[in-house]
Amino acid sequence: MTLITALARLLIFPGLVFAMPAAWFFLWVERKSVALMQERVGPPFMQPFFDFVKLLGKETPPRTGIGGMLMRAWPLIAVSAAAGAVGLLPVLPSSGGFQGDLILLLALLELPSVCIIAAGFSSRSIFAEIGSAREAALSVSYNIVFLLAIVSIAASQHTFRLEALAALPATPLLWLGVAAILVCLPAKLHINPFSLPNAEQEIYAGPMTEYAGAELAMWELAHGLEWVAGVGLVATLVAPHVHAVWIAACIFIAISFAVVLLLSVLAAATARLAIDSSVRFYWQCTLIFAVLAISSAILMRFWS
Amino acid sequence: MSYKIPMGPYHPGLEEPYKLDMICEGETVRDAELHIGFNFRNIEHLAETRNYFQVIALMERVCGICSFIHTLTLCQAMEKLANVEAPPRAKYIRVIMAELERLHSHVLWAGIASKLMGFKTMFMTCFALREKVMDVLQAISGNRVNYSMNCIGGVNRDVEDPTALLALIDDLEREMTRTVIPIFTTSSTARSRCAGIGVLTHEKAVSCAVVGPTARASGVNQDLRRDAPYAAYAEMQFEVPVEQAGDVRARLFVRALEIMESCRILRQALNNIPPGEISTGADKFAFVTGTATSRVEAPRGEVMYSVSWKEGSRNPARVHVRTPTFANMPAVRWMVRGARLADTPLIQASIDPCYSCTDR
Repeated sequence: MTLITALARLLIFPGLVFAMPAAWFFLWVERKSVALMQERVGPPFMQPFFDFVKLLGKETPPRTGIGGMLMRAWPLIAVSAAAGAVGLLPVLPSSGGFQGDLILLLALLELPSVCIIAAGFSSRSIFAEIGSAREAALSVSYNIVFLLAIVSIAASQHTFRLEALAALPATPLLWLGVAAILVCLPAKLHINPFSLPNAEQEIYAGPMTEYAGAELAMWELAHGLEWVAGVGLVATLVAPHVHAVWIAACIFIAISFAVVLLLSVLAAATARLAIDSSVRFYWQCTLIFAVLAISSAILMRFWS
Repeated sequence: MSYKIPMGPYHPGLEEPYKLDMICEGETVRDAELHIGFNFRNIEHLAETRNYFQVIALMERVCGICSFIHTLTLCQAMEKLANVEAPPRAKYIRVIMAELERLHSHVLWAGIASKLMGFKTMFMTCFALREKVMDVLQAISGNRVNYSMNCIGGVNRDVEDPTALLALIDDLEREMTRTVIPIFTTSSTARSRCAGIGVLTHEKAVSCAVVGPTARASGVNQDLRRDAPYAAYAEMQFEVPVEQAGDVRARLFVRALEIMESCRILRQALNNIPPGEISTGADKFAFVTGTATSRVEAPRGEVMYSVSWKEGSRNPARVHVRTPTFANMPAVRWMVRGARLADTPLIQASIDPCYSCTDR
């Protein structure tokens, strides 16, 4: 990957120029579809964008010292990491990439979550701290399944290159991995039944309680970009390998849209679980997935 | 290390202002302190400055959800002091309104409980259902919240066509049995948030003297509609649902079953409503000196009014109200001890608190 292609991917497609409208679009799809399921009208199409612009125009509270600096820095780091993760996705065929970009993608996908935890503790609010503690406990639980899913797919192909994984034919292990990622996405995106860190009826906005204005706008953007990166990862893994650039882009968007709808249905149909139930659920998933992944890897080796 | 988390007086999980200070260790609540009085409006004193017509309109404003029950209890107490009895048709209309209000309150509570579980779809479903109940209330009284139905010696408005309301009751019951009750009982996420949460044992329920669905969910078999019938309840056939578990799920079950029983009572009342006058027609009353009490089974439990009068006076000497939330709220402390922090909004809501009534 040359510097120009890397910059083009980070800044244009599937990076910021594509990812920001996509983030607002996915946020709108999620809100609108949930509203329709609840027999509400839901927000207008441009609402997530208007929310972002409105927040940008609001005054942020003055913050001093190292704590204040950190509080300002965390949302920016989260946005950069999520945008970087989207930029790494091999959406278009032969778009470059490098050996080990999968590991970078996993790190970038995890950074927003780390930033949320740190932001909550930096803000020194009791509600933010509880939200951060919940996010940390949840992150430790779902990430094992998430990482296990991706690493097992990568290990079966002896590569940590995203483009090679995107070109994988549909194998039981791949579908198993995709299913495991789908199970983790609600927790990663803080939607029901795992909307614990921002459970407003319990701890207000959780780690975001002390944020306002442009900083909160950045968190909203980071959240939207996480949606694009999360569903985009699933889309790149399950999308069929085609050579035409436009068809590949359309397939990517269509699958992402379907995943957003799927997650919205799940969010609308469930209540919020408590932290211990959520952690137990993910550890049980880890166990089940580990057994299935190992057995399918052994079977695949026998077949090959 | 323990830390204190304030819940309220203004909190997304609370309908009304009150405060629950929780002493937590991690996510576990070790103890809780309840603070009330944020909604004090001095209504009891104001009642002493109003005449016997004005006081009814005033006491209707004690609570927005059970406004009918408050005037019913007050009117029953005043009827004792004025030695007046409501005609049979008025008693039936009182039963119809009281049961519709119970439906309205229980469905609203189910919506609030869903919201506190993070189950917003269910919240929307319950509130859509509540609208139907409010449509029926509006069809009868012309109002959605403060119905102005009760007067001394009867009711102000007649139910013009009682059988026309039966279709609405059927529709409501169908929605409850098809949607709300199955989702609450079968959804695993909803079940995990309710079962075994906020347990109030039978012994503790008796010692705290809790009332209404909170008591019945802890195995205390009490219901004033059956035990001390008022209005036309003596002529109604119905069951009093009682659960033994004492947890949030049991409170939910009791209310769900009460909704079905309310539909049953409504059907009986609408089908058998006797012809005749809806009030005594008197507009001047001679109150005797003394104190009269009246007890009514409100949606949240027993409401008691104690009304004192001095002969010759147009205003009551004293109106004292004892609301069900006042009886139930000390039990919250026992319910939240050892509970997860995430469950406390739902646990405090499971008694269906009304601080507007309690503070008045």
